[in-house]
Amino acid sequence: MKLQDPRPGKWQLFRIWASIGLQSFGGGASTTFLIQRAFIEKHKWLSMEEFIYLWNLCILTPGINLVALTVLIGKKLGGAWGIAISLAGMLLPSAAITCLLAAIFIQVENVAAVQAVFRGVIPATGGILLVVGLNFALPLIRKGYKEGIFFLLVSGILTTACAFAVIFLKLSVIIVILGAAFLGSLLFSSKSTPPLYEEEQGEPQ
Amino acid sequence: MINPFIYFLLFLKASLFSTGGFSNLPSLHQDLITNGWAKEVDFGQSIAIGQISPGPNGLWVISLGYLTYGLTGAFLALIAITIPSLLVLLVSAGYTRIEHQTWVQGAMRGVSLAVVGLLLSVVWTILHQPGVDWKGTLIAAGAFGLGLSRKVNILIILGLAGLAGYFLYR
Repeated sequence: MKLQDPRPGKWQLFRIWASIGLQSFGGGASTTFLIQRAFIEKHKWLSMEEFIYLWNLCILTPGINLVALTVLIGKKLGGAWGIAISLAGMLLPSAAITCLLAAIFIQVENVAAVQAVFRGVIPATGGILLVVGLNFALPLIRKGYKEGIFFLLVSGILTTACAFAVIFLKLSVIIVILGAAFLGSLLFSSKSTPPLYEEEQGEPQ
Repeated sequence: MINPFIYFLLFLKASLFSTGGFSNLPSLHQDLITNGWAKEVDFGQSIAIGQISPGPNGLWVISLGYLTYGLTGAFLALIAITIPSLLVLLVSAGYTRIEHQTWVQGAMRGVSLAVVGLLLSVVWTILHQPGVDWKGTLIAAGAFGLGLSRKVNILIILGLAGLAGYFLYR
């Protein structure tokens, strides 16, 4: 791969991550957007294919995917130092502002007007999370749709079952994810093998 | 009294057994409430503060730390969400060996579907908090619609919701 810009210096790397962290209001979507714009489009240190590959690794890793992505990009651009600098740039300024906002909130939380405002904001966060969930779901729905009604249905049932297990059965999140990974390997592995195997592999459920 | 070591371990556990910014919520919710170290409202407020402040969604945990245990809590929370991310280096080393196995791709897809389900469970939790009535549900629906349109900045959506709350609940 041809690199457009020379590797970043420590200070430059810190500045880029800090500006991403500080600009990404509204959570993951804008952070992902800003990372792509900075590292792929502006400086061309990464290709889009490489980015998607790294992102998949982050999905497999526990914790916040975007922080894991910060680690991987940091490592690629500056080894161990790159990791430390990238994490510091991404997390410290935003964490400081988060604390500041929480501190201000504690000062004013007993004011009736503030409580009223928050009674409006909290359900709105629920609505926004639903959009986030839908964004995650769309590529999966499209994939299932292409493969036929069976896979679409199975996907829907698996998703609903996971939500149900956490809400009503109070199952631990890790058990739900491991269970879904296991069922996924049984149900979806057939998609990369010749069609002949599909019917046999579709059975276990 | 909060035991800082156990407090940290609870955050670390939630972070280790989660994927994505909000999936550590159910675990933290269970543990902190049981210990009496957080109130129900702390969670909704932390998420709201997390949404207003910059950075990835997962940083909402830092405001949860701050609201429940001050600067110490915020600091412990920051460390707890950073450590698991370093595991990506191990995952990266191991994954290259098995990525072409079909069962790995199937399992990945199962995980992605589970993530959607877990997000739905968090939405459910938020909307079933005390203080969220039918008007709150309407606000949530409105925020969902505006968010879906992708034309409205998230800060504007939250601002409108706050304004609605001010006039409905004052």
